[in-house]
Amino acid sequence: MNSSSVSSRFTVLGPYPRTAVAVLLLGAALLFSFGGMRTSLYPELLSVFEWMETTWFGYVGKTWGGAFALVQGGHLVSLGVLGGSVLFSDGRLLGLFSSLPIRDVIDGAHKVFVGALIVVVATGVFMVCGVAVKVYYLPVFWYKMLTLTVGVLFAFFVRKPLLDRNIDQVNPWVVRLVAVSSVMVWFTVAATGRWIGFS
Amino acid sequence: MNQLIYDIAVWLDDTAWSTAIHESYYLYNWIEATHVLTLMLSLGILFLIDMRMLGWALPNVPATRLAEKLNAPMLVGFVVMFITGILLFYAVPVRSAQSLWFRIKMVLLVVCAVNAYLFHKRMTQSLASWENEPKAPSALRRGAAISLAFWTVIVVCGRFIAYDWYDCDYGQTDLVRALAGCIDGQTRF
Repeated sequence: MNSSSVSSRFTVLGPYPRTAVAVLLLGAALLFSFGGMRTSLYPELLSVFEWMETTWFGYVGKTWGGAFALVQGGHLVSLGVLGGSVLFSDGRLLGLFSSLPIRDVIDGAHKVFVGALIVVVATGVFMVCGVAVKVYYLPVFWYKMLTLTVGVLFAFFVRKPLLDRNIDQVNPWVVRLVAVSSVMVWFTVAATGRWIGFS
Repeated sequence: MNQLIYDIAVWLDDTAWSTAIHESYYLYNWIEATHVLTLMLSLGILFLIDMRMLGWALPNVPATRLAEKLNAPMLVGFVVMFITGILLFYAVPVRSAQSLWFRIKMVLLVVCAVNAYLFHKRMTQSLASWENEPKAPSALRRGAAISLAFWTVIVVCGRFIAYDWYDCDYGQTDLVRALAGCIDGQTRF
């Protein structure tokens, strides 16, 4: 299939093919969550979480409390950097820091966001391995996974493609809506993550 | 000195509001969650400025203008962290005051405050000469590196406070007892 046939295939989706894909994926995720599939798959996943505790990460996490706490600290720092990049970039989109060049802010903040997200996910996987069976039974852990999925899809399939365009040509209310949504999504990811610790 | 700190902590512990916060599941957790989530506003933005100075991020964004513009939201974040931090201390005053990690954290906070003051002073003195350079002058880069390193340690110490490895009610070495400020015969922990 050549590139022209690919682009002609996407014309039916209008100018936002990746957005449409993201919406479809979100729909599929909601169907998965609230349909019968989730409850039928859930018991099968227990063996995966039990296996996670037997990995080297799981062993270290359970045996050395200091190592676990250290990684928690790294998780928090990277969460802070991720949140800082989101607030800075979305703040700029909302009209704050208006003397700073919008393109450089968005592109520069996105690189920081991607780096921080990688560290957040890597340290998060380590932490889950240490308490895998415990979090398996926590509803808030699954809420966090859902919001994290939504956040990643939103960042890479909605926000990024939209902002890669000439921002001056995008409806300002769409830009503001994307910025507010982005802040809310990542705040929810962080808040549900914090609530895991209280559960 | 440790006796005085202990006496003040016990006095705070005896107040009704301290007990109320400590025993309220939702209020305590809301305060703690706010304290942690404000990291995104305070530390996240501070690290953006530090990384810009070191040439690790946002190389095309004018450096001093970035620092000036982000100063206000960052300070708002630190004020919220400060207030919620005081409330967290007030909720569990004796254990917090005798936490080795809490004490290290407080010392590092003072070091970071001094570093931030010197950083800001140097930045205003050298204004605009390097505004569009990808890296700040070496003195500012040093300050940014100290800020990144020490704030990371502060967050880790904050995380360590939750663990009871060096609590006074366990048998500790003389060094740990001295550093944590444990009092012989103390009845409140």
